[in-house]
Amino acid sequence: MSLSRIAGKAAVAASVTLALVGASWANEIKGKVSVQGIKSPENIAVYVDAIADKKFEAPKDHIVVDQRKMSFIPHVVAVQQGATVEFLNSDSVGHNVYWPSISGNKKLSHNLGTWPKGEKKPFQFNDLGTASLLCNVHPEMSGYVVVVPTPYFALTDKDGNFEIKNIPAGKYTLKTWSDDGKPTTQAVDVSAATTAVELTVKK
Amino acid sequence: MKSRVLNTSIMASVTAVVVVLWVMLASVPKTSAIPAFSRKYQTSCTTCHNNYPELNDFGEAFKKNGFKFPKDDEVFVKEPPVLLGSKAQKEAFPGAVYPGEIPGYLPIAFRYEGNFTLNRKQPAGVIAQNGFTPRTDLFAPNTFTIISAGSFGPNFSFWIDDDISAGGTGAGGGLGDGWIKYNDLGRVFHLPKNSLNVRFGQFEPDLPFSQARTYYLSGYDVFNEAAFAQGPACGGGVTVCQTTHNAFILGSPQRGIEFGGTPNNGNFNWSVAVLDGTGSNYGLGGALTARSTKDVYLRASYKFNLERDPESRNGVQAAGPTGPRDHTSIRVGAFYYHGNNEQNYGNSLFPFVNVISEPFYRVGGDIRFKYRKLELYGVALTGHDDNHLVDTVAQTITKTNAVTFTGGFLGSNFWIYPWLIATMRYDFVNSPSDFINRSPASQYNTRNRVSPGYQILVRANIKVVGEYQYTYGRPYTDPANPLNTLYFRPNTFVTGIDYVF
Repeated sequence: MSLSRIAGKAAVAASVTLALVGASWANEIKGKVSVQGIKSPENIAVYVDAIADKKFEAPKDHIVVDQRKMSFIPHVVAVQQGATVEFLNSDSVGHNVYWPSISGNKKLSHNLGTWPKGEKKPFQFNDLGTASLLCNVHPEMSGYVVVVPTPYFALTDKDGNFEIKNIPAGKYTLKTWSDDGKPTTQAVDVSAATTAVELTVKK
Repeated sequence: MKSRVLNTSIMASVTAVVVVLWVMLASVPKTSAIPAFSRKYQTSCTTCHNNYPELNDFGEAFKKNGFKFPKDDEVFVKEPPVLLGSKAQKEAFPGAVYPGEIPGYLPIAFRYEGNFTLNRKQPAGVIAQNGFTPRTDLFAPNTFTIISAGSFGPNFSFWIDDDISAGGTGAGGGLGDGWIKYNDLGRVFHLPKNSLNVRFGQFEPDLPFSQARTYYLSGYDVFNEAAFAQGPACGGGVTVCQTTHNAFILGSPQRGIEFGGTPNNGNFNWSVAVLDGTGSNYGLGGALTARSTKDVYLRASYKFNLERDPESRNGVQAAGPTGPRDHTSIRVGAFYYHGNNEQNYGNSLFPFVNVISEPFYRVGGDIRFKYRKLELYGVALTGHDDNHLVDTVAQTITKTNAVTFTGGFLGSNFWIYPWLIATMRYDFVNSPSDFINRSPASQYNTRNRVSPGYQILVRANIKVVGEYQYTYGRPYTDPANPLNTLYFRPNTFVTGIDYVF
């Protein structure tokens, strides 16, 4: 076998390997969250828990949470650990953003202060957990930033459906966060292109 | 006399209240107040109140803007109004009724206040002289108030509050304020926004501190001070008497028309009102309820905004490091009330003279300082009523020394937490006439009272309030020695619940 033929076969093998790798990254988890004792299955965060020996770079894109008509929009955002959220004030009334804790840890409380209409204030969320967004003038305002350890996460739609895309094959732990419900944990084996999951969140 | 103010039972009551409060506070704090405006905008009471019914800076701006958000009101309204004609009908005017609107929600709210009173134990001599007052009184007065307020389109706003019951079971209440206001009439004359408004109906004069919507359990003593001449009225053997008998008090709502405005970003406030005078019985013997003369009330105040940052200074609220808050500010103001009391209509009291005309005035100044969680304020006031001396035997009437009084109050509020407010007030009234008349009987010319208190927002719409009133000494005869006069301070502790919905 000539060197050129060996080189050619190696190139083909490499291409196949790359294609396979590529295929493995195209896996997805599709699922539905059912709720018990909770008004709606919407806005439940479903995410892959931390993967041993795997670290992810902080995403460069910033996520925007708006304060509009005296509401946090969107009501819930899920972000990867290290992501930066920009808080925008679109109202002509004064607002602020603060969270009294992250998942109950009051040492991680933070108050971003006040800023005028049209301006944004960024904050990088490096701690895992959920920050309950509040405005100290309009206590009816409520929002959540759910900080998760991996880039594999999604929020449910109004019917409880979710889709986590571009997840490599492997065995993972799937977790949920909900405003009203208890956390749910479920093992999931992502081996097929699409893995279907059914989850139940109870109050 | 040694006075033991807080005895064991008071301490037990306070402890019980604290325990109950902690239990209440420990439960899930999700409810917020939803009276009329809360419903309209789907927002909490705290948007407009730091401690209801007192308004914060945003609430003041909301009120001054005719019960509308200072900017982009339509954006925030969650219950759109019902149009009484399309906007295009303006073009058809005067051939059609000018289009208006009414609130899309039922603009009604309710308020209940019920208090527990603990009176200081009376000495035997006080009971013998003044009668027995129970040491405790549960939930009196019970006041249930219905409030309706809102706006009719861009220019009209209205307010009605009526105490459906007050003072206990089955007791009658009455209309407090009931007015309609045309906002920003100055627009017609190209004046700055809110320079000129006009209000019609029954309303509390534009006092520096509202008596009708105070969050204190007791009213301001000086706003409740009437002017009566020294000595008894003529009749029953009394042939020489003084005539001033003016039941007017500043704190009462009155019927009238008020012009006013809040130009310069709301910092300057002015009002001129023509009023009907008090509706209480006045005149010697309380014989009269009406007079032809009309009174005039003037008030001007200026709020010096002390915020350094221009953006904060010009905003509806200041931008603090932890969120919007009231501006650091000093407000100074002055007010003047002038009336002309008339008695003896139809010669009903004294046939030998015509109508007795007695001009009177109340003039005062006020100050209010706000800094973060602290508020300091004060009012000083003097009252002056012309007075006459009547001799029913000689059938003469001559002008005599005027009936005067001075008084005021000083106070402070401190927000320990957004839900826990410590209050302190000092009221004083110096009335030589009252002292001479022993009405009320007091140890000195000046009656004074110190009232420390607390306000606890259990929820945004539910409050537990309390006030201890350390009041002036009142004379009574020593039972052991009738020649000896003793003094008793009928101090009172009042606490209760106040909720709106």
